[in-house]
Amino acid sequence: MQPMMMFIVVLIPFLTGIAIPLIPFSKRGHMMAFLEGLVLLNSALVFSLLMHRPEESFAIVKFTGDLTLSFRIDGMSMVFGGLVAALWPLATLYSFEYMKHEKNERIFFMFYTITYGVTLGIAFAEDLVTMYFFYELLTLVTVPLVMHTLTREAILASRKYLYYSLGGAAFGFIGMIFIIVYSNSPDFVLGGSLDLTKIGWRTDILLLVYVLAFLGFGVKAAVCPFNSWLPDAGVAPTPVTALLHAVAVVKAGAFAIIRLTYYCFGVEFLRGTWAQTVVMAIVIFTIVYGCSRAVKETHIKRRLAFSTISNLSYILFGVTIMTPLGMVGALSHMVFHAVMKICSFFCAGAIMYKTGRSYVHQLDGFGRRMPRVFGIFTVSALALMGVPGLCGFISKWNLAAAAVASDNPLAFAGIGALLISALLTAIYMLSIVIRTFFPAKDFDYETIADVEDPNWYMLLPLSIFVAAIIGFGLYSAPIVEFFTKIADGVY
Amino acid sequence: MDFICNFPFFSILISLFSGTICSVLPGKAAKWVNTFVIVLIGAMSAALLWYLLGTGESFVYMMGHFPAPWGNEIRAGVLEAATALFFCIVMLLSMWGGRKKLMEEVEPSKHNLYYILVNLLLSSLLALIYTNDLFTAYVFVEINTIAACGLIMIRQIGRTLEAAVRYMIMSLVGSGMLLIGICMMYDLTGHLLMSNIQESVTAIIEEGTYVIPLVMAIALMVIGLAIKSALFPFHAWLPDAYGYSTISSAAILSSLVSKGYIFLLIKIIYRVVGFRIFHDTHIINVLFVFGLMAMIFGSLSAIKENDIRRMIAFSSVAQIGYIYVGIGLGTQVGMLASVYHIFAHAAGKALLFIAAIGLTDVSGFSRKFIDLTGAGYRNKIAGIGFTVGSLSMVGVPVFAGFVSKLLFAQAAVNNVGKMLPTLIALGISTILNAIYFMKTVIRIYTPRPDAPYESVAIGKEKLYAVSIVLFIALNIMLGMSSQPVVDAIHAGLEMFG
Amino acid sequence: MHESMILMLPILVPVMTGLLLLCMPAVKNRKVLIGITAAGLIVTAALVFFVLFQEADSFTFFYLTKSLPVYFKIDGIGRIFVTVVTIVWLSGGAFAFEYMKHETDEKRYFGFYLIVYGILVALDFSGNIITFYLFYEMMTLLSMPLVLHTRSREAVMAGLKYMLYSFCGAYMVLYGVYFLFRFSNTLTFTAGGVLNQELIAGREQFLLFVVFLMILGFGVKAGMFPMHGWLPTAHPVAPAPASAVLSGIIVKSGVLGVIRTVYYLFGADFIRGTWVQTTWIWLTLFTVFMGSMLAYREKLLKKRLAYSTVSQVSYILFGLSMLDQTAMTGSLLHVICHAFIKCTLFLCAGAIIYKTGKTRVDELAGIGKEMPALLWCYTIVSLALIGIPPTGGFVSKWYLATGALRTKLPIVSWFGPLVLLVSALLTAGYLLPVTIQGFFPGKAFDYTHLKKKEPNLTMLLPVIVLTVLAVLVGMFPSVVTDYIVNHISGLF
Repeated sequence: MQPMMMFIVVLIPFLTGIAIPLIPFSKRGHMMAFLEGLVLLNSALVFSLLMHRPEESFAIVKFTGDLTLSFRIDGMSMVFGGLVAALWPLATLYSFEYMKHEKNERIFFMFYTITYGVTLGIAFAEDLVTMYFFYELLTLVTVPLVMHTLTREAILASRKYLYYSLGGAAFGFIGMIFIIVYSNSPDFVLGGSLDLTKIGWRTDILLLVYVLAFLGFGVKAAVCPFNSWLPDAGVAPTPVTALLHAVAVVKAGAFAIIRLTYYCFGVEFLRGTWAQTVVMAIVIFTIVYGCSRAVKETHIKRRLAFSTISNLSYILFGVTIMTPLGMVGALSHMVFHAVMKICSFFCAGAIMYKTGRSYVHQLDGFGRRMPRVFGIFTVSALALMGVPGLCGFISKWNLAAAAVASDNPLAFAGIGALLISALLTAIYMLSIVIRTFFPAKDFDYETIADVEDPNWYMLLPLSIFVAAIIGFGLYSAPIVEFFTKIADGVY
Repeated sequence: MDFICNFPFFSILISLFSGTICSVLPGKAAKWVNTFVIVLIGAMSAALLWYLLGTGESFVYMMGHFPAPWGNEIRAGVLEAATALFFCIVMLLSMWGGRKKLMEEVEPSKHNLYYILVNLLLSSLLALIYTNDLFTAYVFVEINTIAACGLIMIRQIGRTLEAAVRYMIMSLVGSGMLLIGICMMYDLTGHLLMSNIQESVTAIIEEGTYVIPLVMAIALMVIGLAIKSALFPFHAWLPDAYGYSTISSAAILSSLVSKGYIFLLIKIIYRVVGFRIFHDTHIINVLFVFGLMAMIFGSLSAIKENDIRRMIAFSSVAQIGYIYVGIGLGTQVGMLASVYHIFAHAAGKALLFIAAIGLTDVSGFSRKFIDLTGAGYRNKIAGIGFTVGSLSMVGVPVFAGFVSKLLFAQAAVNNVGKMLPTLIALGISTILNAIYFMKTVIRIYTPRPDAPYESVAIGKEKLYAVSIVLFIALNIMLGMSSQPVVDAIHAGLEMFG
Repeated sequence: MHESMILMLPILVPVMTGLLLLCMPAVKNRKVLIGITAAGLIVTAALVFFVLFQEADSFTFFYLTKSLPVYFKIDGIGRIFVTVVTIVWLSGGAFAFEYMKHETDEKRYFGFYLIVYGILVALDFSGNIITFYLFYEMMTLLSMPLVLHTRSREAVMAGLKYMLYSFCGAYMVLYGVYFLFRFSNTLTFTAGGVLNQELIAGREQFLLFVVFLMILGFGVKAGMFPMHGWLPTAHPVAPAPASAVLSGIIVKSGVLGVIRTVYYLFGADFIRGTWVQTTWIWLTLFTVFMGSMLAYREKLLKKRLAYSTVSQVSYILFGLSMLDQTAMTGSLLHVICHAFIKCTLFLCAGAIIYKTGKTRVDELAGIGKEMPALLWCYTIVSLALIGIPPTGGFVSKWYLATGALRTKLPIVSWFGPLVLLVSALLTAGYLLPVTIQGFFPGKAFDYTHLKKKEPNLTMLLPVIVLTVLAVLVGMFPSVVTDYIVNHISGLF
């Protein structure tokens, strides 16, 4: 494959997005076909690109000096890029149905598609500068999506989202500068690119900068105390919440932290320092905090959002273990959580779309009326809890195994946090499941006569996701092996 | 000596004389003369820049036939030419963008007066850029002040008069200190030409006598210029002056006038005192600290502000803080970042002012945020312009502000002692910037249920739209292909030192 | 197809039948439902016994990850448990055919009842801790619908409580499993333990903490103090046949978990004489006493029986905590006896509710005149639970006490049997009043309203069968004890 292709797959969604409001489609169906076709084409291109990886990099623009915008695909890019490329067409299909009764859908699809390109840009970035570039861009193109409904809450939420993201990026920026100055090459190198001779006595300052940058990028990954934007951003239409605020955007934060930790500062440099302790403690706290807040929430999307906060910190927990095994754990949870959470969010979206109800206590007895949606929701709930046989168990197992192997007492406590969080997950997810399948004794099903399963636009993505949850749960060997190779630097 | 070496002198002279000519022309003709002059000077600066990049060294141009150390000199290097070119571009676009507003706000009989002032201002700016003589610099500083006062006052409402008086007082305090500084310098060295002074200063430092008066003189000059360029805490005059004057004035004042003084300061640091010596005087630390405070407090004041123009004005305080921090870092890289930020901020701030006026005009001429709700839909081009300007100020990649932030941070990392304060202030300031600019951006894109105000079609005000589009292009150019600019600045600074 | 695939049949058949029932559209004819359930139960039971005598006794189903196989292996302990499960499950099922007439959603009940049966068989056949954990979690999830079957607010809350306690325990176990995975050679159950002595050197204290967590974790399901709170809430709200199997069987999976952890993963020697053993013993003794006291004070019959379960299961755990062959024999015997007995007691309580609607102990005066056969069964198993010879309870307690005395541990070796004795007295105190009141309601009792309310044969037969079994175990204990001793002698 030509290196040029990397740029092209980033560009296609941009152009497609811009074209949508400009082309006067005569029917909605035409726009749908056009959009889905191009998104599918792009995903196909991405996958063929990942299969036949170009070795060399591709530079687009020069900023200053040796800082360039350039793309290169390594193992991490393959994971994140593949994940995004697999999810996007399905999410687009889902949103065709969901957006039917929202206004300004052209504008929505424009930004939604552009975001695809930006996310791929993050995945394929060769160095920290390029990643930072697309990272900021991601904030900008997703703000209109959060604002989409233009209600007062949406405005406030998008404002908060902006402040948090830009502020976080500002501290990520500091880390970037240090990497540029103190490293041999600005490119990502597994094991870190720091030049130890340049550092000299400044180790502590560098560690401080690492913590700052971790928290900075952690804003997007909703690390406590910078998490409150995520539940608020749930006012966006569900496809956005599901794909962006459970996968693309927040995982970009986690992705950035993996890049920062494993590819820039290098785990050899960080492991065993106070910086590791600090970030790990923060992450462990977030794991528990997110879950406990989720238990309290009664709005279904906010509940899932808090669950996302907790689960993102699972990923970061894997990162902060700072061993190759930890990275395997982080990567597996990154992929598996994406599937699980997008699945549960789409269920929530289907409920809101079909019935207009969005609070947990309004869902009594829905299980019988929407058996498919709630069957799938139950599976995703069990997967999130980490029931063996579903993919959540595998990633938790990998995380815990890495933590045990690291011989770090704090990581042992972290396993405890994972399990407490699993228990809380059981509370907040299964209380929904029980309510919907086992309503009170005198419940009158006539009151929810209007509730029914959605059509195939929504069910198809859901079924694929649930198949993936079970499939990964039962047969995860190849993908975990792939992650192991990445962590060992084979790719 | 090539003919092209006359260009600096010509450009100062042309702008000065065109001002005189404008006084007898009707408003409309004055407008054309003004536009023509700016374009012409811009073209000459461009040619000069191209020439200098070719030769790779600066030249000194003798005024009259008295050689140094008695005569008056002009000196032109890459940095001077580039700055002149850039100032011309920004000035031209600002004039275009504010033209309609100027027609409305200023009495027709005073239009030609306005163009006189603009031409005078341009000539004084060019003189500040090119001169190699401290006293000439002082003279043009004063001309600059007078012209700027006129630009503020030309819209005759109470607030502008008050603002102009304030500006005048603060400026005169600043010029006074500068003058005393120059006098002391003259006493100590016996020279007024920059290159000659520098030789003497080096000698004084080596001998060790008169060091304290010397430092005193330097300090007076630096503080005088700092007051004039509204460094925190000397910024009290700024919000009113920028907030209420007619929009072209505000754009020019914020992006050019204060930058002219800063340019002069940089020149004094390099050419009069010498970078090394200046670095050792510790004045640099004062500038650094006040720069940091400006970054934070300017932004905090902007957050509290409920008036879009005053908010942008306070943002200038913060941005000027950036520039002084860059100077205060005391490294070549820091200086480079400062100069780059002069450009980046000029491009961004002028755009913001011009765009803001478009937004307030479609909101019943109110500058309160509550009325601006949804203005981005009513005047689309202004909305886009404001968004771009904001993003540039916040330092989002693609736009000019990002590169200067990058340069600042890199410079900070090179200076171990000042690294952490700078970086943390940079981070906090980015967040604060994001808060007030993004709040405004979201505000102008929040639709209103009722529609009390008319919308403006993009095509209706062509000149305005063109100026905004060009400003946006300028911002993106500075952001995306900054390398030539950085190289030019670097070459220019090399020629200084 | 591998021939040991046959091990999967008794697991898959009930699960599939159950799923079929759940997914089936509502049927008008109740007989179809009963027919399918009965067929499912009987076929599974036949398959279970068939499999028990197969030569092939291990089978790897698939790999969760490269190092985590889902692996089944039938050993002695598994055979004992699966036999008990099958007997109790058949009885409970038969009883439910009649009992469930007065409940709604029968289809769902029988569906989950079958599925849980399959899961329990899988649990008993599990050959490593991962498989065990897998089915342990599934058991919790799938038995929950049985608990909250009536869907009253109380039942739903009880279901949630049950689930949360269980998961809490399960996760404590999982915490241990993570560490075992690192510090052991294999996760397959092996008599004598699997710890890798080189790896654990220097980390013994931490691993003791881990094993303690695992014991506590499995102890949740077995109702051991301090995590017993769910049991008296959850068991009584379920329909009677469900309470019977919950109390008789499901709690025993916690016991099985403890056996597997202590004897097959860490090894008895690893914890012998450590603080873990001591703490464990005291916890079980406290639970034995506390359960009996609470039962004694309780007025609702089913709840009283649930507290009794708390107490009785801790007898079993006490035996296990002695780390002694005799005591463990007693424990396993008590597993069998208690399963039969407690199941019978709950079925009796269910039959009483079904026929008369009475739930409180003080309402039961004269019940013996109305349903004498039932109350006779009740009385016999009560005596068995108290430990009156020649019933099963006597033999198991005998073994427990002698085992405890044999260990010569300080204090507990004599204090333990004493507590068991006191608890037995309390057992008599809370079970026998029903008999006494039932048969001898006293002079003031009004005999005029009495009429025969004896339940029909479908309900009575399981009760009688289980009663007979409980007595038979006591009369011919050597059949069972020899088998047990044979299979556990390798553990010490």
